[in-house]
Amino acid sequence: MDNISKSVRKKDHEPKISGESIYVGDYQCAKDGSAILTGKILHSKIARARVLSVEVPDLPKGYFYVNAADVPGENKVNIVLDDTPVYCKDTVEYIGEPIGMVVGPDKEEVERILSQIKVEFEELEPQLDVRSSQKVFFDYEFSHGDIEKAFKEADKIYEEEFETGYQEQAYIEPQGMMAEPEKDGKMYVHGSMQCAYYVHGAIMRVLGCKPDEIHVFQDVTGGGFGGKEAFPSVLGSQVAVAAYKAKAPVRCVFDRREDMEYTSKRHPSICRYKAAIKNGKVTALDCDIVFNAGAYSTLSAVVLQRGIIAAPGVYNIPNIHVHGKAVKTNTSPCGAYRGFGAPQTFFAIEMMMDHIAQDLGVDTLEFKEAHLVKQGDMTSTCGKYHFPVPLPDMINEIDKVCDFRRKHKEYAAPQSGRYRKGIGMSLVFHGAGFTGSGERDIIKAVAKLRKYKDGSVEILASNGEIGQGVRTTFPKIVANELNLPFDKVYYNHPDTERVPDSGPTVASRSLMIVGELLRRAAIKLRSVWIDGKEQEVEEHFKEPDFMIPFYIDKFQGDAYPTYAWSVNAIEVELDTLTGVSKILGAYGSFDVGTPIDYNIVLGQMEGGFLQGIGYSSIEKMDYDSKGRIRNNSFTDYLVPTTKDVPNMVAMLHVEKYPNGPYGAKGAGELPLVGAPGAYVEAVEQALGGAKIHPLSHVPFTPDDTIAQLNRHREEI
Amino acid sequence: MVGGYAPATLEKALRIRAEETVVPYAGGTDLMVQNRKNVEYLFLNKIAELKQIKVDKDYIHIGALVTFTQAINDDKVPQIMKDAISKIAAPAIRNAGTFGGNLGNGSDKADSVLIEFAVDAKVRLMSLKGERIVNVEDFCITRRKIDLKDDELIVEVLLPNKPYKNYIYQKVGGRNSLAISHVAFAGLFEEKDGKIQEFSAAFIADAGRFLRFKDIEQTLIGKSKKEAKNLKDKVIKAYSDKIVLTAGRVSAEYRKTVSLNLLRDFLTWFGV
Repeated sequence: MDNISKSVRKKDHEPKISGESIYVGDYQCAKDGSAILTGKILHSKIARARVLSVEVPDLPKGYFYVNAADVPGENKVNIVLDDTPVYCKDTVEYIGEPIGMVVGPDKEEVERILSQIKVEFEELEPQLDVRSSQKVFFDYEFSHGDIEKAFKEADKIYEEEFETGYQEQAYIEPQGMMAEPEKDGKMYVHGSMQCAYYVHGAIMRVLGCKPDEIHVFQDVTGGGFGGKEAFPSVLGSQVAVAAYKAKAPVRCVFDRREDMEYTSKRHPSICRYKAAIKNGKVTALDCDIVFNAGAYSTLSAVVLQRGIIAAPGVYNIPNIHVHGKAVKTNTSPCGAYRGFGAPQTFFAIEMMMDHIAQDLGVDTLEFKEAHLVKQGDMTSTCGKYHFPVPLPDMINEIDKVCDFRRKHKEYAAPQSGRYRKGIGMSLVFHGAGFTGSGERDIIKAVAKLRKYKDGSVEILASNGEIGQGVRTTFPKIVANELNLPFDKVYYNHPDTERVPDSGPTVASRSLMIVGELLRRAAIKLRSVWIDGKEQEVEEHFKEPDFMIPFYIDKFQGDAYPTYAWSVNAIEVELDTLTGVSKILGAYGSFDVGTPIDYNIVLGQMEGGFLQGIGYSSIEKMDYDSKGRIRNNSFTDYLVPTTKDVPNMVAMLHVEKYPNGPYGAKGAGELPLVGAPGAYVEAVEQALGGAKIHPLSHVPFTPDDTIAQLNRHREEI
Repeated sequence: MVGGYAPATLEKALRIRAEETVVPYAGGTDLMVQNRKNVEYLFLNKIAELKQIKVDKDYIHIGALVTFTQAINDDKVPQIMKDAISKIAAPAIRNAGTFGGNLGNGSDKADSVLIEFAVDAKVRLMSLKGERIVNVEDFCITRRKIDLKDDELIVEVLLPNKPYKNYIYQKVGGRNSLAISHVAFAGLFEEKDGKIQEFSAAFIADAGRFLRFKDIEQTLIGKSKKEAKNLKDKVIKAYSDKIVLTAGRVSAEYRKTVSLNLLRDFLTWFGV
């Protein structure tokens, strides 16, 4: 293990464990000592309607009703596009859409007022079915090779449809934001978030102010998983408008039901895949991908881009055509969640390969291995896999630890009795960093180091600690380059007043991109270091020279500089009486390059893998015929516990990335991505294989297993 | 505001129960989650006489404030009950949750109550006026509805004192800990002189109440295993006709199929 990988105690360990950390809900008063007003949102109860009138009861002194008319700037929250209103315009487009906010000193009084507001709606027909939605937010298409010729010459053609459901981030701390008007006229906005500068940019437009008239601070944040990438821009705008009107600090913290029902979740998907086979190999793949975006476009453009780029998975298929759409429905807008569109398409390609192999009568792993990409191969977007692809070695590592090949063959034989076993394997990558030329053209990250007279060094960057460890790993890198003790380097939560824009805390980019900027900055500081003097150095992002420029209009070029890889195997014992698949073991080999802190990375891998297993098996969320999400509590939406996967083995395989700090590449999202393919393959094998039970959706619940068995019972 | 009383004796508790409007608090693992406004609680955890497990000739007496952890560690509690309560929630909740609370909560998915249904347990209730002993199936009317008067407290659960040798207990929840039963099954089987002497099958199936059909059970009592085997399909069909389920957290089809699967497995296990 490299020295840099040795684990240290996390900088935020002590305050979090002792309970000293102040989350946004914990503040007793505003920064200037004034009382905080509580804001509660008036949510639409109808999926689509014209709002005819809102009748607010007489408000006691000190209470306010805030709505679109109070927005001083534009009633638009900038995410990728500007279609999300701060407060609804003439219509509401989903159940939960904010119509207004009641603000006042006493929370119970605020709730009482809220319950007395009468909204008159003219109900409109909601669009709830994804398949028939005509409103397409984003539509992308790309191809290479000669797809028509390949299908014409095929020995066999397979066509299948795969579906994935919602997934709720289920962070411990729900969404919460607070806005405080400051004496100098600035607006100070802070709360639970991933991307301080996203919030900053959005609120500037909403308040119609200049960049230096607001500042945004990330409070201690109790988990994000993508759920706090875009949503805090919306809630932050809402509290900022409320504070602007009330001329007083306003805080809005969601309760769990609000959070689960109305905030962004993983996009449900429908992937229709068609494959051409010639001489036992897949020669062409035609993918038609639809993501349910919900009522507003939010991050769907970029989620869809990542999803469709991963459509052919880790396989070298010479002719491909990919068509992806993100369509509108009158449901809660979907957004970012660890994996960002890729878990959906990786599930589809892994199951497709699995089903083709079984139909051809060949071992599924051997079939996949025969198609693996390798260094130098072309990517789905005519870019290049510039670095070694370690999948073959990782497959062997997994095989060694769980005896995969033997079990996989053994369980493929017919089984009888109450309990049946199955094992599945998935092979995935996760493109490290922003998709396409985002880093170069949009983010343009800047990071700084400030050295104080006492020789301590502060890191100035905008990446938020959300449990992934950046408050620890960034200082490790800088301390290492400056040869300083770890406690001499520190990284506080970002305040946009103090730190440059080093970009958002997303896309598994913070460590790889910003960590490398900091490493270079540290080298720069070392070269100009003068004892006892305050000094500052700055570094700017530079795209690596080897990159093939990416053109988003054509989906051509290197979508990512490099890739993190993973091989996952899951072994189950299925109870044919109850439909429950007990997980006997979950094994993951993860290549995220050099781990900058072994424990932190391993924690990320285990946690993400478990989240992925939840997504595959028990995390079921859907909306009803009115567009309402009923699974809005932890009683009705279960996430797995350690007892569900007692035997989890996470291993690191290190393929260093020369342009990341000490060889590190993106880590955060990777471990979730491969779980669905491995889990469903295992359950499918335990059920007797794809010829009897071709499984094609996640989550695949015990309910689904029993339905499969019942169906088959009826057939025979 | 939350107020409350924490009496040290049952007599004092009964007096408060009679005189005030209070919510009995027997562990609080559900009440804490509900976080009701403007209620006064009657905390029962200081009352030693409600925390005892005793055995006499006819019954195993489990005090209403006996926690699941206490019962799991007590030799007097039969294994069938231990099997069920050791799968309740997680250790922290088993340390606080009690038998009285599980009953008083009125849930149709209370794991300890399923066993009480299967074994024909009784519930002892007290008020200042005296005591009542009722059959558990009469006490639990439907979901959230129990036969407990405003001045009464649950004092203890009475399990018939017998060996409970041949039984099957199975719980199917949404995950392996902190899970509410989607389906649970408890069955008892005894044979004497080649005849079925006892046959009892109780279900949790999100049905609004615990399910047990004594009339169907009677059709097998007194039969030999061979005779019972011939009746097996008919018996399962009879259960199938009686188990009528409506939409719930998991599909009605699932809950019914699994209930019948577990019943069939239970019969097969004991040679029927």
